[in-house]
Formats: sequence, structure tokens, C-alpha cells
Amino acid sequence: MAITLGPAADERTAETFARPVRVSGPEGPWERVREAVERHGSVIVHARLAQWLPDDLEDPRLRPLLGPDHARFRKMTHPQVRARFVASRLLLKHVACAVIEAAPETVELAYKPGGRPYLRGLDQIDISLSHTEDLLLVGLTRRGWIGVDAEAKDRPMLGLGTENQVCTPYERRTLAQIAEERRNAALVRLWTLKEAYSKAIGQGMRFRFTEFGFSPQDRNVQVLRPDGAPGTGAEWAFHTCLIDRAYTVSVALFDAGFGDTDDTAAATMLDAGLIAALVDGTGEGDRGE
Amino acid sequence: MRTVEELIELANTHLGTALAATDAEAELTELAEWDSVHLLRLVALLEQELGRPVAVDAVLRARSLRDIWAVAVGT
Repeated sequence: MAITLGPAADERTAETFARPVRVSGPEGPWERVREAVERHGSVIVHARLAQWLPDDLEDPRLRPLLGPDHARFRKMTHPQVRARFVASRLLLKHVACAVIEAAPETVELAYKPGGRPYLRGLDQIDISLSHTEDLLLVGLTRRGWIGVDAEAKDRPMLGLGTENQVCTPYERRTLAQIAEERRNAALVRLWTLKEAYSKAIGQGMRFRFTEFGFSPQDRNVQVLRPDGAPGTGAEWAFHTCLIDRAYTVSVALFDAGFGDTDDTAAATMLDAGLIAALVDGTGEGDRGE
Repeated sequence: MRTVEELIELANTHLGTALAATDAEAELTELAEWDSVHLLRLVALLEQELGRPVAVDAVLRARSLRDIWAVAVGT
């Protein structure tokens, strides 16, 4: 049974997802990010933590850049956690602002109950964030909902008791048919797909991983019921690829039928209420019209 | 398993973490080497250690190692 962890294998998947874009710092390349969103409606961006880590974590300029997250950041004590928090938020904000063509200080990152991040006032853009080791990963779409997840491709997962917590009966059966030397990588792929899907639907791990699954094949991937029967339709698209030959990265994308919005500049992506509040300065907007 | 320190020792022994007893109360999101894979592996370890199922839903709602320990021992 073959498992493809390379580039997209079929035309539908290839059309849905652009190749992930490496963004090595605030200098971009942002044109490639914008092109991906323009052509595909979505973009996956990856970077290394060190590339987005400010020299001075006490720099006062971080306060407006992080916005409300700055208070949470100030309470963090572990240096590694603080570094990861700052670098991932800076990357995410820069990606979003490259797409909407706005300054990072003007966009506020907020969190839904359960921790799912979103951009306040930008209701036509959905975002997702993941990190593992020193890899940072951001997904952004204007099509609907997106979830991304990354894991070291050779992270030991097999035979440690996790299969029963992670896999459906169908997945356990199909995993057992995979050559032993490829089985752990296949489980890592399944894990990242489940994480990505859970993030996209805003459930995190509260939606038990044994209640839904995927096929070991990376062709026409869809959510499967525990017995292997189809669980979702064409509105969902999934893709898995390798980054730097070291990380398995999966993306889940729900097409909400928002259509192909070519114009992602801030003025058109901000919701009307927020624009009104910003314009009249009262926070109430003009409710008379 | 009588104490949260024993849970931490279990994690360090089997997951390769270097958690300290003082991490018991910390938010899981603020433990540098902790992630969701560790969480599910710990559930499997706890079930093996205790010889009975652990309420995974409750573990997933836990915010700290002490919360996980409390779920595991049923307090």
C-alpha cells in the first residue's frame, strides 16, 4: 500500500493548495504569499523560529505588535515558551497583513472559546497556527475554514499505546497492512491530518480522534467514519506534504462557498461594523443607515 | 499512583521529558516540551499503570499536570 507524502497527487488537490511558502523573516517573500492566495484562495507558510525571534523580547515595540497577546506574553516565564509565542504570533500577523495589505499593528489576533485564533474584524479570512520543534506553520484561507498541523516525520508514535487513543478500527486495520518501516510515518501523517481537521472545525482534541479517520492513501483524502465509510464530501479538501524533508505537514480546508474574492485588501475584508466603528470613532458605528 | 510527582516521574521516564515537580501547577501550554502527542501518550501510560481506563475527555480539558493527575486518580 503506497503512501504519498510528496507534492499533491491529483489535479483537484493540486488546484486547491499551493506549494507551502518559506518566509525567512519580515522581508518576505510576501509577493509569493499574495500570489498563492490570489490563485488558490489559501496559503501555507512555514518558517524557523529563530528567523522570527526579536533580539530583545523586552523591546517596547512588541507591545503594539502583539496587541492584547502582550499581556499574556508578559506572564510567561519559560524562555522557550516565550520565544515560540512571540515568533509564531509575529509570523501569523505578518502573513495576514501581507494578504490584506495592512500594517501588523492594525490587526488584532483574538481567540475563540477553546483557543482557536482568529483575526478580529476580518471575517472573510480564517487562520491556523502550528509549531513543532523550531518549525512554525501558518495556514490562511479566504475560502472558509482552515486547519494546519506539523510534526517531525520520524517522531516515534507507533507501538507506544497511542494507536488506541488516536486511530479508528479502520485505521488500525489499514495501518497493519503497511510495511513496518513505513508504518510510523503513516501514523504521524494520520495524526497531523486529524489535528488539522480538528483545528479547522474548531474542536481541537475535544472531538475524539477515534471517532473519525482518514485513509492511508494521500489521493482524494476525505474524513472517514470509524468503519471506513465516507464521512465528508467535496466541501473538504486535505493535503499532506513534507517540509525540509523533516516535517510532515497536513492541511484541512473547508470551502464555505465564499467564492473567489480577488480583493483581499483591508478595506474590503474588514467587516462593515468594524469599519464603521473605526471611521466614526465611537465604537458603535453608524446604525442609522 | 499517590501523588502528582509520581505522574511527572512517569512522564519523564517514558516520554523523554524533563518536567520538574514545580511544573505540576503550570498551564500545559506553558510547558516548553509538552504537546498533544505527549498528552495522549500519557493517557496510555496512565491506563497501563492504573490497570483501568482513564476518562480521556476529562484529561483533554485539563489545564495542568495536577489536573491530569486528579482525573487519573479520580479525585
